[in-house]
Amino acid sequence: MQLTLADHPITDLQFGSPTRLDETVLTVDPAVLRSLLLEDDSIVSIDFDIVRPGEACRAGPIFDVIEPRAKAPGNGSDFPGILGAATTAGIGTTHVLRGAAVSVLAEISPDLTRSATGRVLEMSGAPAAASDYAALMHLLVIPHTKPGLARQAIEKVYRVAGIKVAVALARLALSHPSATVETFEPVSPADKTREGRPRVAYVGQIFSRQRKPEVDEPILYGANTDGMLPIMLHPDEWLDGAVVPSLHSWFGGTETYFYQNHPIILDLYRRHHAREINFVGTVATIAGSDNFDRDRHCRAAANLVKWNLQADGAVLSKYGGGLPHADLAETARLLENMGIRTAVMVSDVSRDRRVESALLFNVPEVDAIIYNGGNGTKWQVPRLDRIIAATAEFTELLAGPMTVDAANIVGVTNQQGASRMRAMVY
Amino acid sequence: MVQITAAKPIAKMVGSNRVVLGTGIVHVTGDAKLPLAEEKELRRKLVQKALDALQSNEKQ
Amino acid sequence: MQIAHYLNQFFGGIGAEEHAGIGLEIRDGAVGPGKLLESSLDGAHVALTFVCGDNYAVEHQDQLTAAVLKKLREVNVDLFVAGPCFDAGRYGMAAGALCRAVQAELGIPVVTAMSEENPGVDLYRDALYIIHSGTNVTKLRDVVTEMAALGKKLSANEPIGSPAEEGYLRRGWLRDQLVEKRAGTRLVDMLLAKMKGEAFESEMPATSFAPVPMPAAIRDLSMAKVMLITDGGLVPKGNPDRIEGTAATRWGSYNIEGSDDLRGEDYEVSHGGYDTRFVQEDPDRLVPLDAMREMEKNGVIGKLHGEFISTCGRSNPLSNTRRLGREIAEKAKRDGIDAIILTST
Repeated sequence: MQLTLADHPITDLQFGSPTRLDETVLTVDPAVLRSLLLEDDSIVSIDFDIVRPGEACRAGPIFDVIEPRAKAPGNGSDFPGILGAATTAGIGTTHVLRGAAVSVLAEISPDLTRSATGRVLEMSGAPAAASDYAALMHLLVIPHTKPGLARQAIEKVYRVAGIKVAVALARLALSHPSATVETFEPVSPADKTREGRPRVAYVGQIFSRQRKPEVDEPILYGANTDGMLPIMLHPDEWLDGAVVPSLHSWFGGTETYFYQNHPIILDLYRRHHAREINFVGTVATIAGSDNFDRDRHCRAAANLVKWNLQADGAVLSKYGGGLPHADLAETARLLENMGIRTAVMVSDVSRDRRVESALLFNVPEVDAIIYNGGNGTKWQVPRLDRIIAATAEFTELLAGPMTVDAANIVGVTNQQGASRMRAMVY
Repeated sequence: MVQITAAKPIAKMVGSNRVVLGTGIVHVTGDAKLPLAEEKELRRKLVQKALDALQSNEKQ
Repeated sequence: MQIAHYLNQFFGGIGAEEHAGIGLEIRDGAVGPGKLLESSLDGAHVALTFVCGDNYAVEHQDQLTAAVLKKLREVNVDLFVAGPCFDAGRYGMAAGALCRAVQAELGIPVVTAMSEENPGVDLYRDALYIIHSGTNVTKLRDVVTEMAALGKKLSANEPIGSPAEEGYLRRGWLRDQLVEKRAGTRLVDMLLAKMKGEAFESEMPATSFAPVPMPAAIRDLSMAKVMLITDGGLVPKGNPDRIEGTAATRWGSYNIEGSDDLRGEDYEVSHGGYDTRFVQEDPDRLVPLDAMREMEKNGVIGKLHGEFISTCGRSNPLSNTRRLGREIAEKAKRDGIDAIILTST
């Protein structure tokens, strides 16, 4: 299992015909994409738009951001279990259009208890400086679904449409030489080439049972994780399409883009390549629905890290809202008591900016905590002429001037480790 | 006071003295998987457990 | 810069514990540690010093505060300094109370100093900057220097750095900062430091909650009046009290007199943190009225109170929930409730 990423940098994105990649300029014919997406009869029409870094524009609500990637033929399915057979992700070569993104806009209101505008893509100004997404060229995809669909059916349409377009664009690069090629070194608990280096594992939650998954909600190889117990995954599986976010958005921020570019996994790889550590593998787990479920998962995940990965240390991340912090802490506590050192990454749940309201666990052994911030920052954003949204209502709502919470700018807060906004205690 | 919750660790952390384990986040005193008669019986037992806790001086 | 200084009977040069009952004296100029204050800051002058016995200060806090505020209204100072108090608890409480009042009522910048365990710290840390003095009184000069430096920044309205940088005790507040390193990188950095046994600073300190005294068990449940409370956000259809689904600032009490069962069509759920459809189907899954009514009919409990209380616990800061809890407890007392069952999601 060795993933090779063939990078094709993109410096410009434009509409035109035919759809093609010329060096670093990607030309997209909306008609071609339209007919691709209209294969799904839940979609009645699609709009497209392009936004570039620095432009005075705003788009939302953002459903997902995906990096255009396509596997070289014979190397398995793109987004296995969703767009094709559930072949193992992370094998062979995957072509990447670097600097580009496909972002899907939703027509339906997101979680109203958080914000009426949902997550917003802001391409200029202070919010842009805090989000990696503002530095990318986005092809915005705006599907209009047929009336009468259930909410989760609509969300699934968005999920599939986004990754379909992302794959279609990247397929243009298959016949082009890539600028750079990176092959990830082997990762295995049986690795003999890094004797004496600290053995480090990553344990990442990919779903939270604060709600039940939808029957056909794709998360792991297209499966909805219902009834699932923790599973070991090779890091390349995360990076190459095995995992996508659940359908409902969570306040902490999770996008397909940062599974493909998983900050924690990539950082572990960096040190693995430098032979600072022996990155022995990962566990994908789920936050439980109740105490029994939690205990079962935390123990199973800890056991995999201890007995199968035989790690000396582990980094852990969560998915979902506040309650999954209990799973995070309990898994870390079990690991610490097995002699495995841990560090965990938490989301900002403090509304009143008091530290005492921020921590959802108090476990002495779990003493190495990375604290993602965001709840204390708001930005004044101006009235903009160019607002891209699926409906007139959203266009009106997003026009500005208005105050936006940092947590509602896509890419500022993130549960995958991408955020640069830290909550400082003082 | 006795607290019925599925999130016992949080309740204990903030200092709740009498905590009885509920059936789940989404149905603390119920279970949607059971037929109604069984669910009611489960609820009765849970409530009885809570009432027992009120009559005990033991922390739980 | 003109400074007003507060000292207790010991640092004010009057005497030790036997003089802790003396009332407020106001002296011109600097006294004792106040002279160190002046020498720590160019151009600083202690215009007046308040000296008071620790016992008097605690027993007559309101009068002391009123007197200090009254005097300060007559003079013009740029900074109010109290202490340093080290681990003297009554001194710390008095210093904290005075500083908070001066800051709030007069808008004058304030600074004090205490050791970490001083009870004044937990009470006042979120309102004030408290220099960490430690318990060693021989460090007086160093502590006063730090107080002076921080005091100068506060009176000049300069941005204040981190606790480590400025020497104050962590106040328990959060603020966001954009940093260079992504969270994922910081996470791996921190783990590796921990694994190597190197020093690292967790981005989140451990928090502890003060223990809650356990009320005595109910002796005779068959005589007890029991009330149901929930934080799962169950409200009558239409949410008449507009209880918020996140960070609720309100609670409501809802009539269940004569009901044997809660029906989904009469209620809705205002809570954004869990999948509410099972409770919507049958609200007894959250507020177990049917089971409780049976208990009442069978004489297991004396009476089920005719209302249940509801609020929403999701993402609710302690600044709200402490008040909500207090208010609900007061209502329970007024209604003669003997015992409560709280159901939490």
